[in-house]
Amino acid sequence: MIKKILDKREVVLFIVLCILFTGFSMNTEYFLDLDSLLSYSRYWVAPGMLAIPMTFIIATAGIDLSVGSIVAMCGIILGVLYRDYQWPIAGACAAAVLSGTAAGAVNGSVSSLLRIPPLVVTLATMTLFRGVAFGISKADAISNFPPAFKYLGHGDLFSFNLNGNPVFVPSALGALLVTVVIGAFILRKTWIGRYTLALGENPVAALYAAIPVHWLTFGIYTACGFVGGVASLFYTSVYGTARADAAMGLELEAIAAVVIGGTRISGGQASVLGTLLGLLIIGILKYGLDLSGVRSQYVVIIVGVLLIVTAVFNEWMARRAGESK
Amino acid sequence: MSETLLQLTAIDKCFGGVTALREARLHVRAGEVLGLVGENGAGKSTLINIATGLFPADSGVILLEGKTMTFANTQQAAAQGVMVVHQEADLFAQLSIAENMLLSRGLVRGPGGLINWRKTNTEAERLVADLGEQFDVNQDAGSLTVARRTMAEIAAAVSTSPKVLFLDEPTASLTVKEIENLFRQIARLKAAGVGIVYVSHRLEEILELCDRVTIMRDGATIETRIKADLTMDGIVSTMVGREMTSSSVKRDVPIGDVRMAVDGLTAKDGSYTDITFDVRAGEILGLYGFVGAGRSEFAQGVFGIEKPVAGSVTIDGQPLKIKTPRQAVAQGLAYLPEDRLVQAVFREHALRTNGSVTVLPRLSTGTVISNRKEHVLARKIMEEMAVKAANMEQPIGTLSGGNQQKVIFGRWAATEPKVLILDEPTRGVDVGAKAEIHKLICDLAERGTAIILISSELPEVMAMSDRVVTLSEGRVTGTFNPREDGEEAIAAAAVPRSAEKVVVALSPLQRGLARALQMRELGLIVFIGLLGGYMCLTNPDSFANTNNFLDILKNAAIPAILAQGAMLIICAGGIDISVGSMMGFVGACAALAVTAGVPAPICLALALVLGMACSLLNGGLSLVARIHPIIVTLAGLSIYRGVMRYAMDGKEIRHLPDAYRAIADGAWLGVPKVCYYVIAISFAVHILLRYTLLGRQILALGNSESAARLIGLSKTKLTLFVFACSGALVGFCGVLKPAYYSSVQANLGEGLELQAIAAAVIGGTNILGGRGSALGTLLGAVLVALLYNSLLLLEASTYWQNIFVGGLILLAVSVDAIVQRLRGSAA
Repeated sequence: MIKKILDKREVVLFIVLCILFTGFSMNTEYFLDLDSLLSYSRYWVAPGMLAIPMTFIIATAGIDLSVGSIVAMCGIILGVLYRDYQWPIAGACAAAVLSGTAAGAVNGSVSSLLRIPPLVVTLATMTLFRGVAFGISKADAISNFPPAFKYLGHGDLFSFNLNGNPVFVPSALGALLVTVVIGAFILRKTWIGRYTLALGENPVAALYAAIPVHWLTFGIYTACGFVGGVASLFYTSVYGTARADAAMGLELEAIAAVVIGGTRISGGQASVLGTLLGLLIIGILKYGLDLSGVRSQYVVIIVGVLLIVTAVFNEWMARRAGESK
Repeated sequence: MSETLLQLTAIDKCFGGVTALREARLHVRAGEVLGLVGENGAGKSTLINIATGLFPADSGVILLEGKTMTFANTQQAAAQGVMVVHQEADLFAQLSIAENMLLSRGLVRGPGGLINWRKTNTEAERLVADLGEQFDVNQDAGSLTVARRTMAEIAAAVSTSPKVLFLDEPTASLTVKEIENLFRQIARLKAAGVGIVYVSHRLEEILELCDRVTIMRDGATIETRIKADLTMDGIVSTMVGREMTSSSVKRDVPIGDVRMAVDGLTAKDGSYTDITFDVRAGEILGLYGFVGAGRSEFAQGVFGIEKPVAGSVTIDGQPLKIKTPRQAVAQGLAYLPEDRLVQAVFREHALRTNGSVTVLPRLSTGTVISNRKEHVLARKIMEEMAVKAANMEQPIGTLSGGNQQKVIFGRWAATEPKVLILDEPTRGVDVGAKAEIHKLICDLAERGTAIILISSELPEVMAMSDRVVTLSEGRVTGTFNPREDGEEAIAAAAVPRSAEKVVVALSPLQRGLARALQMRELGLIVFIGLLGGYMCLTNPDSFANTNNFLDILKNAAIPAILAQGAMLIICAGGIDISVGSMMGFVGACAALAVTAGVPAPICLALALVLGMACSLLNGGLSLVARIHPIIVTLAGLSIYRGVMRYAMDGKEIRHLPDAYRAIADGAWLGVPKVCYYVIAISFAVHILLRYTLLGRQILALGNSESAARLIGLSKTKLTLFVFACSGALVGFCGVLKPAYYSSVQANLGEGLELQAIAAAVIGGTNILGGRGSALGTLLGAVLVALLYNSLLLLEASTYWQNIFVGGLILLAVSVDAIVQRLRGSAA
């Protein structure tokens, strides 16, 4: 019975999350301050949003290393259009989202048409998009965005009182939740999700089962680029500046959340709820370590280790399940 | 008769609960040809694989010349003189045919153990000539016809003077002339006392060639008889072992109008040519032919997997637009593929989703799947097809083969096709399920579906078909009525006759392009020359001077050294994107050590060891966990960078001792030391990859893991070796760069992994493994450095540099992919 519960990934993750939460709240001052926790979550929206399409990509046994660069590039495009070309902010935002979609379409079309592994394609475009960001910004940081734009990252949906202290719920968090819900819905309830899992489980059989594998691959990477564009708006708004070296290592965080969430790197199985829990675990870990005074550049070590450990664990579990059959 | 050579007794083997062999026996004598026959799935291949050491038996005894043997791998078996030539030889496509022949059996080596390619090629040519063949052994195996590959394999096996030689369907793709040569060679071997086990579906060949015949059925050896006691009918009835029951004969249903008409359909690769026939509603058309007759290829062509180049197909009078399987299904076609595990089953997914996958849009409103409709469908499949499963959520991989096949059948029946192509629908299915599947086929025919039944089992074709069309060598050779014409006539029409397949040739332009792109090094030199020349002309002062040239070489050095290691890893089929941050980490550690007073040479050694350790950790983890190195090294990228920053504690390390600096700084004969290093390392890697057995094994592994396992190569050892090499080079670079600049900054090595991979890929390394060149890699690094330098001089913003690295990687792999496709269609 206990074994059966432990076999359910989401339950294990939830337990881990609870342990982390209790551990930090006992050892770290201010950890339980809900308002600052929610406020911190603003910084977590961009990688969180990207983890959702990344779940789909990894479910097809693919990978997208370029998401961090896409976010940086879109942020720069937004900033340059707004500052240097005096575009209205809404227009600049639309252009950023469009560029993200186009970047995703490049990834998708090269990997589906030329049948080059997405790993290679996105490794190249990771550099390419970052290069575009540096090229058009000349490594210059762009700030002074209008207040309306700041609302995206710093605005609040609503606030409530907890023990007499006001707690603000960030609007960005709402956007992240919407992404999660849409992602979970598509994966579980629609044939797009079903096709995605089938493609990851057995790409040859997917082709023979008349699944439009090329379009599907193209669509998933393009969607990831689109979400990257949207995420760049929140990212730029939260940090208040658009920089070409923004969102470095964001791909690691997104991929780690997905893998920790139980989606197999070899494809065929995925869970958006798992990804959400994976996100929460990394987020709590970062927040807690931050409060404990650990510098954020060392936190990536822990994220990296966590990624490897869970990837190894996932494959081990899957193999054990396969053998017991 | 003569003495016993090889004897297998009471061999049992299970694969995941499915019994493949039960108490199987095999008894090979010296100087005889033993025929081994049985239906598909009778256990012949499993028995051969056990006899030749590919995998062990669960129980049983193997005696070779009276001594008990346990073969741990194929190489041990080969060393004892037990060899096999497999049906579809799994080859190293990017290695030459000569190397394929001799890699596991001894490449000719000269002084220092280095491979002598000239003699190796001569040797391979001689072996091929012995078999009466003549072709260029220096071309890539991937570009050779299957027939020639088979001949080359046989030639290579024969060359090692085996005691026992297994030939698994050797003539499947050979022409009559080649078969004659082969038979002559077999006679010669037999006279020399070799025991030959000859596996074939072609019973005429068996009767012509063999002294005795062993017949297998359902994993057991049924009997062994001498030739004089054998007739074709006798073999067939023993093989099949049962009369076809009445349930398996097609029911009479009214035959309607023509549903599908095929006219002159021809494949690009010549696997089928000018196929013309039609099928009517309610009719079952048997498509019969031997392996390699082009049956499945034809079906895949109609279904839109590989587009045919000529001909047309109509369904109910409407021309079928064949581009993708999706279009084919939309126009009323369904195809149940031949290889269930690879082409049909989503193993770990539920029976329900496996059954509904072809009709999902129909079960949905918009894109949302209706749970209710899907459950109704799944229940219908389970009931109508009599699938034995606990419930519809059971993973299909846990069902028996027959039940899996019923679900797949249900998947296609659910599309209510006008025309259904069944490719070996009862292969690997037990007798009961077979009868049930036959019944389902009849039910569909009754409802007016036109059915094309592809099968290698002649009795099945005879009993189930209204008409039989025979295919041989990709052409229609006859149309028969199975009620009137005999099995012999049909089998005779299907026997491959002769004649090379017609291959649609590449246009000279395509061929020229493919060849030009293959000469990567030359192309790079020309390109570097052109770019350099242009720069010299436009910037005679700033560009064309010795200092600037040395600058370029110096800037190319570190990426080039890293790239040699990255290239080795890529050649073996892996990748490491953490080399840049690993270099930073190792560099920081070594620099900290040297500033703490540790002597410079010891620090250098420390860096090499530390680099190797980190890299081995990357390689080892991905091996142990069997996950792609990209995940491990992606995490490594952050981990090493983080640890480095922790070690440096936010400070720069400056003022390294002179002894340390002397490792990299300075020049010999006016040329910077680093240039010597990079040339020496590139040369060493070139020798390793081109002239040592180890290097060739690395490439072999990258070409095909399964084929590498077949010749007994250890993936673990080779992978660890390339990661160790790369690690040592990373460690070296971690010393070189700080020693040269006398400082370590927190961004040491950042982005270098991309430059290294770019240099390797631009230099002609196949990113998927199996092909690489040290010289090309060096040139690739020089090209990148030259580009950077030119951009700088042209006063283009340095910020655009990244675009060039990324763009060049993308360009190089795209060109590679296109070349591969051009060459693929040439094969």
